This record gives sequence, C-alpha cells and structure tokens, in this order.
Amino acid sequence: MAQGQLRVYLGAAPGVGKTYKMLEEGRRRRERGTDVVIGYVETHGRKHTEAMLGDLELMPRAEINYRGSTFTEMDVAAILARAPEVVLVDELAHTNIPGSRNAKRWQDIQELLEAGQTVITTVNIQHLESINDIVRQITGVPQRETVPDEIARRAEQIELIDMAPEALRRRMAHGNIYRPEKVDAALGNYFRVGNLTALRELALLWLADKVDEELDRYRTEHKISATWETRDRVVVALTGGPEGDTLIRRAARIASRARGADLLAVHITRNDGLVSGSNANLSLQRTLVESLGGTYHQVVASDIADGLLDFARGVNATELVLGVSRRGRISRIFSRSVSTATANGSGPIDVHLVSHEEVKRGRGRALPSSALSPTRRVVALVLALVGLGVLTGLLSELRGELLLPSDILLYLAFVVLIALVGGLYPALFAAVLGSLLLNYYFAPPLHHFTIAGHENVLALIVFLAVAVAVSATVDQAARRTREAASARAEAETLSTLAGSVLRGARPLPALLDHLRETLGFTGVTLLERNPDAPPSPDLQHDPDAWRVVAAVGDQPCLTPGQGEAEVLVDDRISLVLRGHPLAAADRRIAQAFAAQAVVALSQERLSVQAAAAGPLAEVDRLRTALLSAVSHDLRTPLASAKAAIGGLRMSGVVFTDSDRDELLATVEESLDKLNRLVDNLLDMSRLQAGALAMTPEAMSAAEVISLALADLGPDGHDIVVHMPDEFLEVMADPALVERVLVNVTRNALRYSPPDQPPMISVSEHARFVEIRIIDRGPGIPETQWDNVFLPFQRLGDRDNGTGVGLGLALSRGLAEAMSGSLTPDNTPGGGLTMTLRLPQAETTEAEQPDPPLLSGLDQWSKGQR
Amino acid sequence: MTRVLVVDDEPQILRVLRINLVARQYEVITAVTGTDALTSAKTDHPDLVILDLGLPDLDGVEVIRRLRAWTRVPVIVLSGRVDSRDKVDALDAGADDYVTKPFSVEELLARIRVVTRRRTAADPVASVTIGRYSIDLALHQVTAVDDSAPPVHLTRTEWQLLETVVSEPGKLVGQRYLLEKVWGPTYQTETQYVRQYMAQLRRKLETDPTRPQHLLTEPGMGYRFQP
Repeated sequence: MAQGQLRVYLGAAPGVGKTYKMLEEGRRRRERGTDVVIGYVETHGRKHTEAMLGDLELMPRAEINYRGSTFTEMDVAAILARAPEVVLVDELAHTNIPGSRNAKRWQDIQELLEAGQTVITTVNIQHLESINDIVRQITGVPQRETVPDEIARRAEQIELIDMAPEALRRRMAHGNIYRPEKVDAALGNYFRVGNLTALRELALLWLADKVDEELDRYRTEHKISATWETRDRVVVALTGGPEGDTLIRRAARIASRARGADLLAVHITRNDGLVSGSNANLSLQRTLVESLGGTYHQVVASDIADGLLDFARGVNATELVLGVSRRGRISRIFSRSVSTATANGSGPIDVHLVSHEEVKRGRGRALPSSALSPTRRVVALVLALVGLGVLTGLLSELRGELLLPSDILLYLAFVVLIALVGGLYPALFAAVLGSLLLNYYFAPPLHHFTIAGHENVLALIVFLAVAVAVSATVDQAARRTREAASARAEAETLSTLAGSVLRGARPLPALLDHLRETLGFTGVTLLERNPDAPPSPDLQHDPDAWRVVAAVGDQPCLTPGQGEAEVLVDDRISLVLRGHPLAAADRRIAQAFAAQAVVALSQERLSVQAAAAGPLAEVDRLRTALLSAVSHDLRTPLASAKAAIGGLRMSGVVFTDSDRDELLATVEESLDKLNRLVDNLLDMSRLQAGALAMTPEAMSAAEVISLALADLGPDGHDIVVHMPDEFLEVMADPALVERVLVNVTRNALRYSPPDQPPMISVSEHARFVEIRIIDRGPGIPETQWDNVFLPFQRLGDRDNGTGVGLGLALSRGLAEAMSGSLTPDNTPGGGLTMTLRLPQAETTEAEQPDPPLLSGLDQWSKGQR
Repeated sequence: MTRVLVVDDEPQILRVLRINLVARQYEVITAVTGTDALTSAKTDHPDLVILDLGLPDLDGVEVIRRLRAWTRVPVIVLSGRVDSRDKVDALDAGADDYVTKPFSVEELLARIRVVTRRRTAADPVASVTIGRYSIDLALHQVTAVDDSAPPVHLTRTEWQLLETVVSEPGKLVGQRYLLEKVWGPTYQTETQYVRQYMAQLRRKLETDPTRPQHLLTEPGMGYRFQP
C-alpha cells in the first residue's frame, strides 16, 4: 500500500493558530468530498478553535489506565479500522501515557501513514529535537516532548503558521490562548517579545532549511547549534586573475545569505616567487572586497591548496569560494588542480567552485618547487657536471680493470650523492647525463650512442630508473625533514606561548614581541575596534574606528589596513602584522598568539580593575571614618548643649545659681566646639574644592603669634615664645595663619607634659620665616610623619581628644595654600617640633633709590661690628 | 536614694547629667573610661549605669559584657551611634535601653525611672488598656471598652507576645528576647515573625493601627508598651 502523505503545520509558539488551521484544512478537504476524521484534537478550551470543529467526525479516544488514573489518547487501532482518507492529529510531539500502543504520537502517525492515510498534524518549533537546546537557552524552559527532525522533515508539506510576537501577545492578553487567570504568569515568562521573536526566527530558519536542501543537510550535520554562537566566515580565494571580481561578488552573496557572515579574501603567494597573479588585479580586488565589508589577506605557501586550507582553518572559515581552474584539459591530467586538492582536503569547510569566463583560457604552469635551497641546487648541478667528467675520465683510465656493471654502480652512487646535495632536479640531470656518458664511453660499441648488447640496454635503463627513484626519494625525505623541523618549531613556539601569559607582570607586550620575533615581522599591533564606530566600507582604513591596545616593533599600525596581514580574533579585536605577508602555515601560530593576546589583555584589564578597587575601598573606608567621626563630633557638643538647656527648661526642679551657671557655661563651650568643627570642616572642603578665599598681606611674625596666643586663651598662658631681635614680616592671610598656629599649638599643648609647656621660636632662613612649635610630649615616630597629615585618621567615636583628625591636615593645607609649608621634626631630647614656614614679606628694598649704596652701608655696618 | 554611675569621656555631658540627676535626688558617680567604670561598678554598687559606647580605652559594648558577667544592674546606653547594628550589639550584650545623642533630658529621666522601677516593683501587671480594649492578662480576656469596638479574639501566640511586651510598661523589649520568649531559642533570627504578629496585634487592638499609640516600635531595637 502506498505511504500516506504527511502535512505539518509548524508554529513558533503556542497560540499562533496551528490547530485552527489544521481543522480549517480538514473542513476544506471534506467539502471537496474527502473522507476526513479528527484523530485527536486539543482545543485547550479556545472557543474559536472549538467552533472550527464543526461537524467534522471526531474519533473517540482510547482510555488508558495508568497508576490508578484514566488518561485518554488517540485510538490508533480505531482509526486504522475506520480507514479514512485523511486524519487530523494534533500535537505531533506528544508523548503517550505508558501503556499506549506507541510511546510517542509521531510513532502513531507513522503507523497511520504506513496504512496509506494522509495525516495532517501540528507541531511547535520548540518541540523539534535539534532546536531543543537553543529553545531552552532562549526561553529557559526545557522541552521534554521532542520529535525527531527527520519526522517533520520527511513531511511532504510543511506550512508555517506565522504571527508577529506583538499580535500573539495581544491574542494572549485577550484570553484567546490561555484562561485569563493563567495569562499573567505565561505572559511574563514564556511570552516575552524577545522569546517569541527568537522562536519565530528559529521557525523561519528551520523552514528555510527545509526549503534549501543543501543548506539543510549542512545545518543538521554540524551546524544547527553552532550557528547561534559563531559567525559564518566565507573565504574567497583570489589568484590575481580577472575572474576574481566574479568570485568576490559571489562570495559576498553567500556571506550575506548566511546571517551577516564575514567575508575574507585571500591571495596565496607561492614561496618560490613564481607569482602568477597580476598585482594590479589584486589591488583592485582588494578595494572591491573592502567595499563589500570584507577583509583582504595575503599569505605565502609552498602549495596553494595547502596554504588556502591552512588559512581557511586558521580563520575558522565555514565556506570557501574558489574559481574553477583556468588550466586546460591536458595539464589537468598530470596534476590535480588547486580546486580538486582543496575540495579533497577541506573537511568540514564547504567548498564552492564558481565557474567564470576565464575557465580554460589556460595559463603557464609552474614547476613544483624544490624542498632545497637554490644554492644547494646550483652547487649540485656544478658538482654533477664536474664530478661526472672526473668520474668518466677516471673510469676510462681503468677501462681494462672494471666492467660495465661496476661502472654503472659507481655512476649510480654518484647520482645518489647529487640527489643528497641538490635534490630532485640536479639528480635527474646527473642521471640522464650519467646514462649518456655510460652509453658513450663504456657501453660497447664505445664512442657511439648506440648500444650493442640487450643486456647493456637493460642495465642502462635500470640505472636511469634507479637514479630517478633515488633522487625522488631523497628529495621527498628532505622535504619531510623540513616539514618536521618547521612543525617542531611551531610546536615549540606554541608551547612557549602557552606559558608566557601565566608569567610576567605585563605579558601582553612580551607576547606580541615574541610573535614579532618568531615570525620575523617588523611591527605587531593589537587593535581594538571602537564599539561606537559605525559600520562602513572603509572601516579597515578609518583610524577613528580603531584603538591601539598594544604595539611592539616599529611604528604601530593605526588601522588594520596599514598592516600587511591581519588576524581577526573576534568581532572587535584584530592583530595587525607589518613587515611581510603572513605565510599560510604561520597563520595558525599567529591565530594562537592572537587568542593568547586577548587573554593577556583581559587579564591586564582585570588586574587594572582590581587595582582600582583597592583605592575605592580605601575611599570607602575614609568616607565611613569621616561620617562616623563627624557625626560623633557634631553630636557630642550638640548633646551636651541640648541636655543642659533641656534640664534648665524642665519644670519642677530648682537649680542652684551655680548649677545654672555651670549648665549655661556648658552650653557655650559646646557651641564653641561645634563652631570650631564646622569652621574646620568648611575650610577643609573649601581647600579641597580650591575655593578658599585668601588675601595674603604683610604682617609681622610677632603679631601673628600674639593673635594665636590670644585665641588660645588661658590654655596658652604657659607657652614660651622666643622672638629674634630683627623685625620679620610674613606674607600670609591673617585669619588662616592664626588658624594654623592655633591648631598646631593646641595639639602641642595636648601632648605636652604639665610641667613642660610648649615653646614657640621664630627665625628666618632663605627668605622664609620659620615658626617652630616645640613640644616635649611623646613625639611621633618618623614613619608616621606623613600619616598625621591625612584627614580623618581617627575611626569612630573612641577618642574625644583628637577631634575629627582634621586639624593637622587642614593646617598643612592652609600653610601650603599660603605658599608655605608645615613639616614635623623631632624635638632634640624627645617630643615633636612642627615647623611652619611662611614666605617672608618683600621688604621696602624695592623702594630704596640706591640699592648698591644700601648694600655698601650694610657692609660698612658689618665691618663696624 | 538611687545611685547612678554615668560613664562618658565628654566632660560637658558628665557635667550636665550630674547637675540634672542631682537636682532630681539621684546620687551620681562619674567615670571617663571603661576601666574606671568597671572598677566603680564593683566598689560603689550603683543602681543604674548610664554608658557611652565610645570610650577611650574599652568599647562600651565590651563594658556591658564585662558588667553582665557578674551583675544585673540596669544599663542605659547613651551614645551618638545611631546604626541599628550598634543598637542590636549593645542590647544583645545586655543593655536595658538605648538612648541616642542628642537626647532629651526628660526622655532620659523617664527611661531611668522605667528601668529602676523594675527593681522595686515586682507585681505582675494584671490588666492593661490598649485603645478601645481592656485586656485582662490573667483571664486572657479582651473586653471592649467602647461599644463601637468589634469583639476581638487573640490567638495563643498573640497572647504570649502581648503578655511579654506589656508586662513591663515603658520598658524596651528586644526583638530577640521576644523571639526567644514566645517562639523559642531556635527562632532568634526570624524577626519577621515578631513584625508580623505585632502588626496583627496592632490591627486588632490599636484604634488606628497605622498610628499606634501603645504598641510602639523602636527601630532596630524592639518594642515598647506605652500605657
């Protein structure tokens, strides 16, 4: 019996109207006279869907008991027995209750199809097995019910029931999908516009796959999940011929179809220097590629196909676009074309062979290159000529003693020697020349190119064959040796590389330098694309779009376009190499370096962040300290004042006069204290904000000190002041200098032992007036000298004596604001000496009419003393 | 005569408190460091300690802990620290009440009276009035004083909570203490229970639950029954 047809209605999400469509299709077919039954339908209580059921024949469901409950499933046996032409079965992905005929509904449907019935069914995209993972990533909801893609894919017709996410949400909000009480949770979780859009895209893509069989196979086999994470990269190989333009355009089309894939054009230069392409063509094509948003690369390789594949793998290409070979039929017999070799070795990379007008126009064919250096080949050729001459001469002398076989063996040995020295071609040359010489000089008849004995003919032919074989082998071996050596070098480089990120404080420049040395570039630059840079065709040449992250060697490249080679690391970061084109085989190393460089870069950035977090924590600690210290210092005087006043105001208590006075005095003291603190805080913030109003004026040092002493009141009574005889004037703001002196002196008073009051001495040095406040207290260890000037050193409310810790910090700030300084020193014999240096006021010298006279007088007066 | 030990390193505060307390017939001893305070507590046997937390030598919380090692003398913390963390620490260490600076002398005196009264009056509270209800704690009965008030039924937990809070009118009752007393020692961190039940009690008993007059919350510390 013929297999029935399967028609699938594919939806992106629940509620798009698959069941409705299915029923509609059923009714339409019935109206045409087809025998249609409903095998199974789930209306979810949606009234529009229920209305669609109409008078379609509904097959009764089978009842299955499972763990004491009764469940209903599609009755496959009944449908088979009823044998309609078309069966409508909802929910393709449904899992049947254990104990049913089949485990899965799709198996039921298989049975119906095999029985020749046409089945119309519905399925949501998220139930397809291959999409399952992605759906879970998108929606966060795992789908337990899945159906193998093959089942849906085998369907004769798949119709997508599409609906804009917003419309679906509206339908949802109207209660047409779920019952109103369920709407909120469902709306919030599953039916987010983002989810729905992603699912819709999935559905569209999946269907697009189904439509495009080739793309379809490609995706199922290895790419479905990967395409979500990685971008496709299309590599187009350019020979430098005029067909390149066609190839680039074709590749750009492929790239644009594959969801914004990257386009990379590559030209492989043969390392034997036999450039076949035209540089003019290449530079035009480079412009074309870049105008299409792609990048141009040039690599060096000994074998074009290998180089191309190395490059393609290096950049993680997914597609490779090649032109069909330009060579003629005959040259194709002798060697595989690049396209064949590439296709054979491409592995997971899809190779597109593009036909073009240049096909079969032919071109010169280059010789396969030798593994050995040109010098060695020249030496070998010379050696072959000279050696064969000498050998022939020598053997001619010995003609009587040696027979032809011995001669042949000696010649053979010599050819092997040549092969060892110069590889294939010199050896072939030596072999041919040798056979001619043997023939001419040693094979009878002598001195003729004819050979008498058949045996000699054979011997000469064997000689030639062996010589050729040996030469080829030796050449091959040399080639292998060189490959092994380069592989080992590569491995060594990679292993050094692997370790380098872990070592060293700044691995990034070291890494780039290592890369530069290893591959012999003159400069290596790591560029980062500015994320705000708008995509434009000349992005590769726009210096504003790129930022140099690190550079070594000569002048750094500012854009990827300035370098000879570019290695893309990810969307943003690019490694640009300058000096020479990148050899295809080296691209892998460069790629590894680039990846490591990015790791090193992120490591560097992390450590910068970590370093930045340290000061932040310090700032935070300071802020906490400030807050708690300030709040304590503000609250304490406030508390005393408030308590004193509160006590006085309370009725029912009579205070004595002295108590009342004391309370009022407390209020005043506390308010003074508050006032000082507020002044200090304000000055500190003004100082920090650079908004301190300051009017320096000349004032005498004695005046300054007496002002400060007056401010200190009775506390300053015992302070001893030493003034010099000369009249010293300072340039300072009177209010500020007084503040500084009071602060510092109060500190000194606090720490001085009762019987040893502090001392103030004034002197002049180098146009500065120095005021020393000397105490005999415990002093401060030298290591702490800088710390005492940091504000807010005190934490919390532990010590009322020192205040907020603003005093010294503020004093130093003020002194510096007046172009002076405040420095601590040890008092000889113990204690601390604070030195306030203030600029000396310009004396009236400028007004003197005759300074030399004055200095003369000065000298005279000194002489007099 | 009640003897009060005032511990603070701020001379102005000491002076103000001394004058105010002496004027109200308290006997006042002062100390400026934690060590002095501990010595004084041993030798002078104060009936009450008023303690600042920021002392030059010892932290106030440590002083409470050391005091609590051997005495039940009521301790009122008088501190500029307003963080609920500090309050909880002090109360957990065994302080009886917590007054933040700047403070009102009147309030401080009221608190002093509450914590010292407990020492003398041991009579359990028999009945209290909250809003429109009269609550008989012995009979577990809530009677409406006002006819407009709807009848109220309290659950067992609500009764226990109410009893604990109102047993010492005016006194601060810590959250943890409530949890331990009503729910048991393993529930000490489940502070949301207390909040929830206290809200229920207010809803049932207070005339305007959003502006409670009797079952008051002391943020960060606990609850206080204001008769």
